[in-house]
Amino acid sequence: MSTQAQDLTVRKSVVVACAPEHAFETFTARIYDWWPFASHSLSRQPESATFEPRVGGRVYEVGPDGKEHEWATVLAWEPPTRFVVDWHVSEGQPSTELEVRFLPEGDGTRVELEHRGWERYGDEAAEARAGYESGWDVVLAPFVNATD
Amino acid sequence: MDALGDPTRRAIFEQLRSGSRSVGEIAADLPVSRPAVSQHLRVLKEAGLVTERRNGTRRLYRLDPNGLGELRRYVEEYWTQALAAFKEEAERERRAS
Repeated sequence: MSTQAQDLTVRKSVVVACAPEHAFETFTARIYDWWPFASHSLSRQPESATFEPRVGGRVYEVGPDGKEHEWATVLAWEPPTRFVVDWHVSEGQPSTELEVRFLPEGDGTRVELEHRGWERYGDEAAEARAGYESGWDVVLAPFVNATD
Repeated sequence: MDALGDPTRRAIFEQLRSGSRSVGEIAADLPVSRPAVSQHLRVLKEAGLVTERRNGTRRLYRLDPNGLGELRRYVEEYWTQALAAFKEEAERERRAS
């Protein structure tokens, strides 16, 4: 990975008061129970969201109309330690890579999230700017899908 | 157009991470001509990655803080919200089902 790609990588971490196994299962198998769909999904009120627990598995939501929207495909699956997915929630946009690690810390778990590959968006921003003069907003609209 | 897909443009982008530079300063560290550097800078500017300003008679180039930085800010906020929701659920006492 080149240095500037490293620089654009988004890193987040949070400590949760439970074992790695529980944190991993919550994040993946029980994603429907906590994911903030209202602001972070394509259909806003999906009927279901599924995280298929294997390499090659798909992460997808099913909208109220029964339509599937794929978010990601699993590249690495190592419960309860880490997973990596190819993240392509925004149709027609470059895909990025999301890695989440679950590390024991005291009685809890440090969840480290790394979202990388954003340099691929440079070109999209250029096109969006040329067309609409509003740059990232246009590129990100389908990805962020912020609440009104 | 592939703004950061070109090795010379990546090298220029890399140089500008450490601060503002003129075309001449950028070209001095690269095996390409000044006109070529100017051409690459134009592409980076159009992609919203680099901006320029005048300093006396010199034009200085620097990374555009509103370019990929803006994207990064969105993504950071996206995950901050998602992880807060995740933490709440992961720590919720498991109820008898």
